[in-house]
Amino acid sequence: MKGDEVVRSLQDLLKGDELIVSSNGNVSRQVFAYLHQPQVYLRGSMGLPMAVGFGLALSQPNKQVIVITGDGNFLMGLSSMATIAFHKPQNLKILVLDNGSYATTGGQQTVSSNLAYEEMISGMGIKNVQSVDVMKDTETLNGKLIDLLAAKELSVLHTLVEEDIHKLENIPWHPPEIKDKFLEKFD
Amino acid sequence: MIDSVELISYLHKHGLNLATGVPCSYFKQLLIELEKSDKINYIPATREDEAVGISCGYYLGGQNSFVLMQNSGLATIGDVLTSLAQLYQIPLLLFVSYRGLEPDATFPEHLLMGDVTEDVLNAYNVPYEILYEEGWQDTIDRALEEMNANKTVVCILVEKGVMDE
Repeated sequence: MKGDEVVRSLQDLLKGDELIVSSNGNVSRQVFAYLHQPQVYLRGSMGLPMAVGFGLALSQPNKQVIVITGDGNFLMGLSSMATIAFHKPQNLKILVLDNGSYATTGGQQTVSSNLAYEEMISGMGIKNVQSVDVMKDTETLNGKLIDLLAAKELSVLHTLVEEDIHKLENIPWHPPEIKDKFLEKFD
Repeated sequence: MIDSVELISYLHKHGLNLATGVPCSYFKQLLIELEKSDKINYIPATREDEAVGISCGYYLGGQNSFVLMQNSGLATIGDVLTSLAQLYQIPLLLFVSYRGLEPDATFPEHLLMGDVTEDVLNAYNVPYEILYEEGWQDTIDRALEEMNANKTVVCILVEKGVMDE
């Protein structure tokens, strides 16, 4: 299973009022293409989707905030996980699509394959962490996504996925337009 | 010296209810008061760019905050400024200690950034003002007005001894 299939699996599970922050490159294009709009689609600021999602979760404590990030972004922003783990916002969920590569820039290897995600993240103080290899095990993904969305605490789901060579078009909205459309949710 | 409690109240009155950042000794008292404050919630960040990311996310949820750091952090936040805050036209207030001037003569680690701080802000197209005790409220008013009117990043530079320490 590829990362975009994990994103598409969320289509039927989301209620429609979730706030989603997606990492720059392929992941934000997939979230734009397959999930309800508008959301926070990052075009740059690599490494910062967790920080942005955390700020959003603090600002909107009654909404569910989901960060969807690739492994390259996740690792660059790893220290934000320590910040988030310290504060434990109960409305923040983090979904990592780990294909072990910088897929947007041509599939260069990341160092992700060397890491034990559950131990690493639980060692930061986050209790609800799950890891699933959806290349081998496609059966349990839906259940894990349902658990992630239903959890009443800060939670992380790490998914090992195949690299996706299919590229989506760039997001057609200009960044200020992304911001303005997203802010309309709170009018 | 500017009283930290008064500054916090003033910023809170202008609609800011969260602060995040990386400390500077120039802001020692301000951080003590922020940690006690029931008006402004303070979130310690691990890096300055993370703090800017948190502040941008907070704004995208419809609320306002500010970011606090040393000028050394200006070197760290180049990408988050240009590819998030400025790109998305997100209002952002940076409260930055101006290290590397004469009082820091024995801190060589601050001197090179001290020399180029204003050049760096100009290069990033970030408008800035230097804060003085006299008229500090007017400086903050002008910065917030520019930030909100133009949906821009603004920076307030704070030299040693301007804030209570």
